[in-house]
Amino acid sequence: MPLLFTIENLKQRIALYEDMKAYKELYHLLYDGLHRFSFSIVKSKEVAEEIVSDVFIKIWQIRHRLPEIENLRVYLYTITKNFSLNYIHRNYKHPSVSIDEMDIEPVIELGTPEELCISAEMINRIRQAIMQLPPQCRVIFQLVREDGMKYKEVAEILNISVFTVRNQLAIAVRKLGEALPFYVQSNTQLMNRFSAS
Amino acid sequence: MNEDRFWLLVSLKLSGEAQPEEIAELEMLLQQHPEMGLRVNMLNAAWQAPGKTLANNKDVSFNKHMQRLSNHFSEPVLQYENPEAEEYEEEKAKVKPITRSKLFWASGIAASILLVWFVAFYVPGKNAVTETVAQNTVSTKRGSKSKIQLPDGTQVWLNADSKITYNEKFQGALREVQLTGEAFFDVVRDETRPFVIHTNAIDVKVLGTSFNVRSYEDEKNTETSLIHGSVEVTLRSDPAQKKYELKPGQKLIVQNNGLPVLSKEQVAGKPGFKHPMPAVGRINYEKKDSSIIETLWVKNKLAFDGEAFEDVALKIERWFDVKVNITDEKLKKTPFTAVFDDESLQVVMEALQLTGKFKYNINKKEVTIGR
Repeated sequence: MPLLFTIENLKQRIALYEDMKAYKELYHLLYDGLHRFSFSIVKSKEVAEEIVSDVFIKIWQIRHRLPEIENLRVYLYTITKNFSLNYIHRNYKHPSVSIDEMDIEPVIELGTPEELCISAEMINRIRQAIMQLPPQCRVIFQLVREDGMKYKEVAEILNISVFTVRNQLAIAVRKLGEALPFYVQSNTQLMNRFSAS
Repeated sequence: MNEDRFWLLVSLKLSGEAQPEEIAELEMLLQQHPEMGLRVNMLNAAWQAPGKTLANNKDVSFNKHMQRLSNHFSEPVLQYENPEAEEYEEEKAKVKPITRSKLFWASGIAASILLVWFVAFYVPGKNAVTETVAQNTVSTKRGSKSKIQLPDGTQVWLNADSKITYNEKFQGALREVQLTGEAFFDVVRDETRPFVIHTNAIDVKVLGTSFNVRSYEDEKNTETSLIHGSVEVTLRSDPAQKKYELKPGQKLIVQNNGLPVLSKEQVAGKPGFKHPMPAVGRINYEKKDSSIIETLWVKNKLAFDGEAFEDVALKIERWFDVKVNITDEKLKKTPFTAVFDDESLQVVMEALQLTGKFKYNINKKEVTIGR
């Protein structure tokens, strides 16, 4: 996979040569995803930005140990999760902090009706359905859809089983699908559209 | 139809986790249940739509981050980190013992790296066209060092309390950097684009070589020590721009204060000669392993070579980020020769005391020295 390959390459350059260019590139590459992930937990753009910054400071601190980290992207998301939960814990005095008990603000970009060839009404329905998903389910949906994570990676980040990820995502997709209208169309047309994409 | 199974298959297909047999199963189900088709298509369209990238200037946020990274080292606690609760990391990145010297560099580089990695814009005055050139500045605090690579591949080791500035693009006929403090350069050879280092007192022009430049504003001299290759030095205050060419193993010493130096040229006598005078000397080799004293700092060794205690004190101040007060005037002029390999302030003072016969007292960041 090109993205993982790129990250692996940057990781080596940072660890071996303290290459600031690689460090900057890694930041650019992963900032959006990490910021989105943190934002969905802390619900503040400013705090999320600081958390991502802390995560990258951490990376710089442990740069000599980076080669020992197998999947740096997963590692970064995991620390982002931990830092974000720490923030919640400290600022809201949450007795127990875990993602499935929290209110998660998912950041899902659905695009415009023109891009999707579906009406604004449909987009709205999908959005509503996402908001009604259980918190953990929303996070899983976000990580898979927005960040293109593999189930195994999501499982590692959230410290749950791959099986749970798989089930939760099926539930999310089902809820979203059921929010959409139910029409009958001809088979061939449907199949073409689905397989073409 | 088993709806759970159906939606599971759809979700697997959307997330790219579906096996070929699961895709086949889904297609079969869709043929049997055409009524599900529209929903699946809509979901698929919504899933595939490219997410909008947030309107966030990542360069700005990265610069902000670098600022935080530098501030972080004066107070090294991550705001959002919970040190006790980070078992995950420890378990993931099984901690290797880090050697002291590595740690020194790590903390040093950390403390300093792009301490100020900021982007300044300057507009050439004479040019009506507002051409902005982004300048990169890397600086180190006292007690820390840094190593950077310039865009042309040239490696620069930056000693404590030093600053180097260069054009971000690093293009043009010359490769130019501004230096205050001390740096060791290993310049990548490019005969078409000479490398020029500007300091307060001198300009050093090279094609490709390695050498050390020491130019602290609070020190008396600016020194250029050549390891190999050749360099050409011009004095900034010299209207004739006479070029001094150094050979490997030579060191050029120029006084910063404009007063004459004790060199032969000076003895020849030029009354009223105000600009700094250069003296050419040999660079100094450590007897034990013939390494070059001028560049030992790169290897994390603190070295003095017959230097007056007041100069030694300046080096110690930078090296350990402390303030050194010498109360005895005679002591200030006492020369010291020593090499310390990554030792603590305590050890350094202890050793100097043995030969210098003085008393010292370390109080936090202040060292007081007297008889």
